[in-house]
Amino acid sequence: MFKENSPFDPRYFQVLFQLIFLCYGIFFLQWNDWTHYIISIIGCLLFNYLTESIKQGKMLPAFGKQGWNLWGFSVMISAMSLCLLLKTNHWYTSLVACFLTVLSKYIFRIGKKHLFNPSAFGIVATLLITKDAWLSPGQWGSNAILFFLISVLGTIVVTRVQKLDTSLAFSLTFIGLLYWRQIFVLGWPLDYFIHSISSGSLLLFGFFMISDPKTSPNHRVARIIWAMSVAIIAFYFSAFKWIYNTPIWILVAAAPIVPILDRFFSSKPFEWSSSTVYIRSISKIKKE
Amino acid sequence: MKSFRKKIAAVMVVTAMITHEASAFCGFYVSKADGTLKNKTSQVIIVHDGNRSVVTMYNDFKGDMKDFAMVVPVPVVLKRNDIKVVDQQIFKLLNEYSQPRLVEYYDENPCYLRYDDSDKKEKAPMASMLEGKVSGLSVQRADLGVKIEAKYLVGEYDILLLSAKESSGLKTWLTENGYKIPEAANEVLQPYINSNMKFFVVKVNEKELKKLSGNFLRPIQISFNSPKFMLPIRLGMANADGDQDMIVYAFTKKGRIESTNYRNVELPTGKKIPLFVQNNFSNFYSNLFQHQWDREGKAVTMLEYAWDVSPKNYMKCDPCVATAPSTQDLLQSGVFWLNQNTDYDPQNLDDDNSNDLVYSDNVYFSRLHIRYNRNSFPQDLMFQETSNTENYQARYIITHPATGDLNCVGGKKYLSDLKQRRREEMQQLVSLTGKGYSDWDVVTNNDEEKFIPAENSYNEAAIANNKIEKRQHGILFATLGVMGLISLVGFRQRRKKPM
Repeated sequence: MFKENSPFDPRYFQVLFQLIFLCYGIFFLQWNDWTHYIISIIGCLLFNYLTESIKQGKMLPAFGKQGWNLWGFSVMISAMSLCLLLKTNHWYTSLVACFLTVLSKYIFRIGKKHLFNPSAFGIVATLLITKDAWLSPGQWGSNAILFFLISVLGTIVVTRVQKLDTSLAFSLTFIGLLYWRQIFVLGWPLDYFIHSISSGSLLLFGFFMISDPKTSPNHRVARIIWAMSVAIIAFYFSAFKWIYNTPIWILVAAAPIVPILDRFFSSKPFEWSSSTVYIRSISKIKKE
Repeated sequence: MKSFRKKIAAVMVVTAMITHEASAFCGFYVSKADGTLKNKTSQVIIVHDGNRSVVTMYNDFKGDMKDFAMVVPVPVVLKRNDIKVVDQQIFKLLNEYSQPRLVEYYDENPCYLRYDDSDKKEKAPMASMLEGKVSGLSVQRADLGVKIEAKYLVGEYDILLLSAKESSGLKTWLTENGYKIPEAANEVLQPYINSNMKFFVVKVNEKELKKLSGNFLRPIQISFNSPKFMLPIRLGMANADGDQDMIVYAFTKKGRIESTNYRNVELPTGKKIPLFVQNNFSNFYSNLFQHQWDREGKAVTMLEYAWDVSPKNYMKCDPCVATAPSTQDLLQSGVFWLNQNTDYDPQNLDDDNSNDLVYSDNVYFSRLHIRYNRNSFPQDLMFQETSNTENYQARYIITHPATGDLNCVGGKKYLSDLKQRRREEMQQLVSLTGKGYSDWDVVTNNDEEKFIPAENSYNEAAIANNKIEKRQHGILFATLGVMGLISLVGFRQRRKKPM
């Protein structure tokens, strides 16, 4: 029934949920940055196809094991992240972001892992280089329903790739620090704090970006330490230096620490295919 | 529609925003008299680059001027040179230049080739800005943990900069010195004190006041270096119930400003609306604003205008409803990076470095309109400057019908198109403002409408739209009914089968 490389890769869910968020933005929050969305998706796919083809020394097929699954999938998640997070003035800036995103996938590699989260690197590099792009931390508003939705959907995605630990370590640390600062130290009322944590940006980061298994440490303990450090540093800069979108900047800045952590805490590196075990075991049961 | 040749004949603006009565800035007015003061619409200019901010607060105080007092949290202790008073004309100018606009088009009579329209009219905007009120004081120090960090006389104002250790001490101090502090202020004073904010306390100096010629208080402009790019609205909510409005005129180097902790919404713009709205644009706009604000979930900032107003940029609006701010106006608003001596100073510009100022001639203007209340706005407004340079203006379009004899082939076509267009305009009106057809007084200008048959009038359009709506409701109910019946039958059959 199901093939070895089942199409029910957990990344399908991830792209699907990202798509749901984008639709939420488009239909409920009146986002209309169509050029950016289209360029981001086409640009990422195109660049990734070309780079992968060059790497393999042949033109890759459009579909199948050597096709879409190889060159299309992973970059699709990055492309969707660009759509969801980045804003640009011009189409060519979006294209630059795609290029940088794909570039980081191929250039900054250590073994089978990426050094940087591709979309985080693409976003940060575009912000630094072009000065024509920006992030809107307030874009999701503070809708409680969205808060719920992202948490639940995010949890599903993350549990499927067995990395809930990263997301929880980051989110709980960051939220805990915010609570300490806003309620205990400054004495704001509770709704002040709730407003801070119900921003979709924070949750999206926690569940879709920092949880990327290709860029987080392999060992569970290392992963938790790492996620907590990102949260602490990001909190410091946002609370005391008044800098916005700190998590994404810190994620990129802290990326070089991951290989060092991997050396200290040795563990088997993550492979996307291993997560399809769940589906395969079902098919085996059915066969029996 | 394209067959109509249109031209902009005139541009008309009506002040739509300042509809509320009294008003205040992000601080709160304090009163010696026991009357409760309501803060309603306030206006503020923020100029921001790197870590430097210049904030100008419009003083819309209404009442006996010597009773005026105000408390504003500020991030640092301001120096004497950081505080000045400016001409209040600047607010009028910025408001008129950037406010939502109504644009008029004239249809050309398809039965004539050229039709000269000499009836160009321009209506002057009427701005009604009001002044707020209250208090007087004598400065005494008590050991309440309150420290007077600085004390200045600036223009007609006595200014104190206070730091405090505890909100109760600060509150007692202010009360003892004649400021009436609202009960609810306690909850916000403490967080500000804990955040190491200082309090900028203003009252009117009666001697200086007498020297003034006009009977108004001038806006106060303060400048400071701090990474905090924000407006403390929480304090202003302490003595206000209900919704308050604030207009923020922001000047930056790169592009639009936006809130980082509330969603930023652009108001619907470029919509064609019925002609009769011109009689009451202000009412139309306040309904539109209220409706959009409700629809967007209230916790939002609304963009009303965004444009590159750099002295070098030639086109500053399209169409312009008032003169664009000149270099002098920008300097007065506090745009500190403009070099007033040379018109062009192409050397750039990378952000930051609060003290060594880099001159630049890039100025980007954003106008935000924020309607806030305690429930929807638990936090102060935090801002960031973005690279977004897309121009925007809240702009609504009315179209005058063609005049003269329309009895030709083109004329008939025109009339049937007009009928359709007016229906669409009526639908647009309802969807923008959330008010039904019957809520609008359809006042027609007989001179203009005399060539248009009654069946093409807005009244007919409204009636037709009503009918369509009813029919649509009918269809909806019918569909639901049929679906209900089918499912009922389905259930019955299913229930029967197992038997």
